[in-house]
Amino acid sequence: MNTKKFMAFLLTLVMAVTLLAGCGGGSGAEDSTGASGEGSGSGQDTLTIAQGSDATSLDPVAVNNVYSSNVMKQIYDNLVDLDKDGNVVPMLAESWEVSDDGLTFTFHLREGVKFHNGDEMKASDVAFSLKRAQESAAVSHIFGEIDPESFETPDDYTVSFKLTAANAGFLAGLAHTGAGITSEKVVTEEGENYTNNPVGTGPFKFVSWSKNATIELERFEDYYGTKPELTKMTFRIITEATNRAIELESGGVDMAFDISTNDISRVEENSDLQLIRKVDNQTTYLAFNCEKEPYNNPKVRQAIAYAIDTQSVVDAVWRGLGQAAVGPVAPSVKFFDDSLTVHEYNVEKAKELLKEAGVENLTMTISTNDRQERIDMATIIQSQLKEVGITVEIEKLEWGALLEKADRREQDTIMLGWTCQSSDPDLALYAPFHSQKNGAVGNNYANYSNATVDELLEKGRVTTDEAEREQIYKDLQATINEDTPWVYLNNGEVVVGAKANLTGFEPTAYGYHTLYNITFK
Amino acid sequence: MIKYIIRRLLLLIPVLLGVTFIVFTMLYITPGDPAKMVLGDTATPEAIEQYREEQGLNDPFLVQYGNYMRKLIFHGDIGTSYATRRPVIQEISQCFPATVKLACSAMVVAICLGIPIGILSAVRQYSIFDMITMVFALIGISMPVFWLGLLLILLFAVQLKVLPSSGYSSFAHMILPAITLGAQSVAVFTRMTRSSMLEVINMDYIKTARAKGQSEKVVILKHALGNALIPIITSVGLQFGTLLGGSILTESIFSIPGIGRLMVDSIKMRDFPVVQGGVLIIAIAFCFVNLAVDLLYAFVDPRIKAQYK
Amino acid sequence: MGENKRLKRFKEIWQRLSKNKLAILGLIIIIAMILIAIFADFIAPYGYDEQDLTMAFQGPGNGHLFGTDEFGRDIFSRVVYGTRISLLIGFVAVAIAVVIGVLLGAISGYYGDKVDNIIMRLMDILLSIPQILLAIAIVAALGNGLFNLMLAVGLSSIPHYARIIRASVLSIKDQEFIEAAKAAGSSDLRIIFKHIIPNCLAPIIVQATLGVALAILTAAGLSFIGLGIAPPTPEWGSMLSSGRNYIRDYSYMTMFPGLAIVVTIFALNVLGDGLRDALDPKLKK
Repeated sequence: MNTKKFMAFLLTLVMAVTLLAGCGGGSGAEDSTGASGEGSGSGQDTLTIAQGSDATSLDPVAVNNVYSSNVMKQIYDNLVDLDKDGNVVPMLAESWEVSDDGLTFTFHLREGVKFHNGDEMKASDVAFSLKRAQESAAVSHIFGEIDPESFETPDDYTVSFKLTAANAGFLAGLAHTGAGITSEKVVTEEGENYTNNPVGTGPFKFVSWSKNATIELERFEDYYGTKPELTKMTFRIITEATNRAIELESGGVDMAFDISTNDISRVEENSDLQLIRKVDNQTTYLAFNCEKEPYNNPKVRQAIAYAIDTQSVVDAVWRGLGQAAVGPVAPSVKFFDDSLTVHEYNVEKAKELLKEAGVENLTMTISTNDRQERIDMATIIQSQLKEVGITVEIEKLEWGALLEKADRREQDTIMLGWTCQSSDPDLALYAPFHSQKNGAVGNNYANYSNATVDELLEKGRVTTDEAEREQIYKDLQATINEDTPWVYLNNGEVVVGAKANLTGFEPTAYGYHTLYNITFK
Repeated sequence: MIKYIIRRLLLLIPVLLGVTFIVFTMLYITPGDPAKMVLGDTATPEAIEQYREEQGLNDPFLVQYGNYMRKLIFHGDIGTSYATRRPVIQEISQCFPATVKLACSAMVVAICLGIPIGILSAVRQYSIFDMITMVFALIGISMPVFWLGLLLILLFAVQLKVLPSSGYSSFAHMILPAITLGAQSVAVFTRMTRSSMLEVINMDYIKTARAKGQSEKVVILKHALGNALIPIITSVGLQFGTLLGGSILTESIFSIPGIGRLMVDSIKMRDFPVVQGGVLIIAIAFCFVNLAVDLLYAFVDPRIKAQYK
Repeated sequence: MGENKRLKRFKEIWQRLSKNKLAILGLIIIIAMILIAIFADFIAPYGYDEQDLTMAFQGPGNGHLFGTDEFGRDIFSRVVYGTRISLLIGFVAVAIAVVIGVLLGAISGYYGDKVDNIIMRLMDILLSIPQILLAIAIVAALGNGLFNLMLAVGLSSIPHYARIIRASVLSIKDQEFIEAAKAAGSSDLRIIFKHIIPNCLAPIIVQATLGVALAILTAAGLSFIGLGIAPPTPEWGSMLSSGRNYIRDYSYMTMFPGLAIVVTIFALNVLGDGLRDALDPKLKK
């Protein structure tokens, strides 16, 4: 092309671009997005956060996923909160009493707490919120043991209720966003529309929500606690991990969740950025179907575990993110047995055990969902198990289809993750290992059944003595390891990229975080 | 004319009925329990059963379809999302603008580049410009949207760092997605314009116009282009359909919160009412674009207009 | 048509096609691709699932022509094996679409009236859903997997074929030789298979050639958004999809599968264009 033609080409391009600008206006929601406050200078009081997926609902009891919870954590306060060591600390409740049998809870509420609409929070709101949590299908695994008939509110600042069965982990569960305190009046009035207009007592209040794009919050000026320095918070939904990192680097966001392994070193080496990491409570595992031949034979399960070089699987796939898992309880959960190590990789032993079990030419299917890292791990396991003569087929299912398969308990093995959503080991172990919770009705996708384990799990719930509980849970970890219903693969890690001058962020191990204490230096 | 429009609109009804039925059936046989997806795998079996009952998921197929259609026809209600519990219409109307904006921008890029380049190419048939253009057009047609998107991100966002790689909030955000999605259409328009211009350019009346001493510009832009427009408009109309489809991939590459991503996410989440509603809306949009294209012919070509009476 | 006449016609077409250099280039590429697909076992230096974690992320060169991926698998070998998968998807999907589409279109055009109306309305319905969305829904309903993917892509492109065939059936339905066959007492089925379909072959061949391209693209697109084939099957779209995660550091991972797609689609497109011109001399100026 000669210059003249090139100019003509350029001109048309400019023309296109101008027209484009004309076309672009008028679709409302996007104007408010944009990059966050002016650069890195001190005094910045707005925070823009990139997260990988949109919230599903902002009604505390409607859903149970970390993306929704991450937003709700800023809007709603709970009766109690967890500190960074997992201890229960007061929040809306100033103090509480638990009866000796562990069944009756009495909370004394803070006075003068206001909802975002200006109403004062009363004991009736608390009772209302917890009743909803108890009824809610999404969080009833945490709050289902509340007896809805037992609520009493002797005055506006006292609320008490009973559990149908003692559960030592219950109090910590109250810090889950599912038990966020909502206004009875607003929920009742808004009905179906509530999630568009959520009202809590938290330090930030809801402003707007543009599906799959942004959620905006602003500071609640009448907050009872320490007023945050931030005045505005914007969640931007950016699905691709690479894109989140690019946005962070280009200053489009102040912090980005779930930085992928590929971008870690890039963020670390960038002097304008910092990387915040914490091993989380998620354990990814390969569960055998313990009801199905030949996986009902512990020897076969152990053999396969021996044949999997977990450390190299984790190193190759996660490349320094998280760590190889050593047991069914994640390291930040209470009573984690820190004497455990990654299971042994020993091809000879594996072959021997397979021979003892009389298993030859085994073809094993690994069913998992379409998460890239899981498929990657399965792909490596596939080639490792070839060494011991096991042919692995990987079945990649969508989440819904995978759950349905687990429902029918037809799978050979299934690769999934389990996240302990509080600091208590009951939530880590009861659902995935109790025989009453097999794959058709619960989360025991291994269809694992061991009377001793069932008994210990139940005992762990009702025991109040800490030392005794510790022993129970350590025994549980040992027994489960021996039986090998799971091959533990890895513990995930919260990896957050942020501007270098951002402070006051304390990541939690359960996936959603307190963001309102963030400040900029 | 109006009669024609009304007839076309009436014809929409059986098509849309068919669409709802086909999609409903397809979703019905899709494995995966929506209740379990919505409530999470931690939900108790009782809770799941209760939810299924509430949402009518336990009803026989025809009852479910009947209920859906009754609400749709008598109340214009396309249901409530399982996942967010918000009205489907609200979910969709939040995502539609992004897709429309994306498709429009891509279309603008395609028209503003494709047609002028096509004209230039035709006027200078067999010149080097023409050759290069045609090769590029062929490559453009063969370029998968998702690969082009990745290449553009690599070049402009990663290497040169001049354009953002995700989002759709500003003009700069729209450049890469619009080019990505529009590239194929640029190629299509270029080829289409070139070939239909070539067809017209050698016709007698063009020669007459030239002979009358009218300037080349007038001859090409007024006489030739006017007559070459019909096939171009057809391909514009057809490309709109392609763009709506292609936007599913483009939205996924650039994290644009459009209807395509909503559809894919909803299918994965088994959020059937949203899928249903989305497909319905897309089908309506599709049909209206086709109708608009047909009507446009009438304005361009009086001979066709006569047929509508 | 006699055997001789057919041969003559074929020669004419070939002559016209062979003058079109681009189309011949396309043909050569396609033949090469088919050979690569057949002899992948001999061409590929490594197995497509052969991992060597110590050799992950090696750039092109050093014994790995296209470099290695995140598992240390040889990308060149995977692209070579991917040819097999992609062509298989393309051809089988189109075969499904052609068989069903041609039948529907022929029946619709031949019988006309109510049958025509019903079939064509059904096609309108399918056409009013974007193909990729339809394919996504079909994959979701059937589940992932190579065959389901082919089925989804095939089923979702039926309407295109049905429409084209119907149009050309309509154009020849009233011609003498059909009337003659009818008069001779041939059954409808025989007329459709013996006379109508052979005489509509030209547009079918053209559309099928372009259709293979479209099918490969659609399948790669589905794999790209994660609705494809299970690993370690080396499908180009899924290679791109996993490569995109490493685009900033190891961009070559997305280069080669992408190029493979473009070259294949390019070849099919120019061949299809060339065939159209060769089969239909009226269009050729």
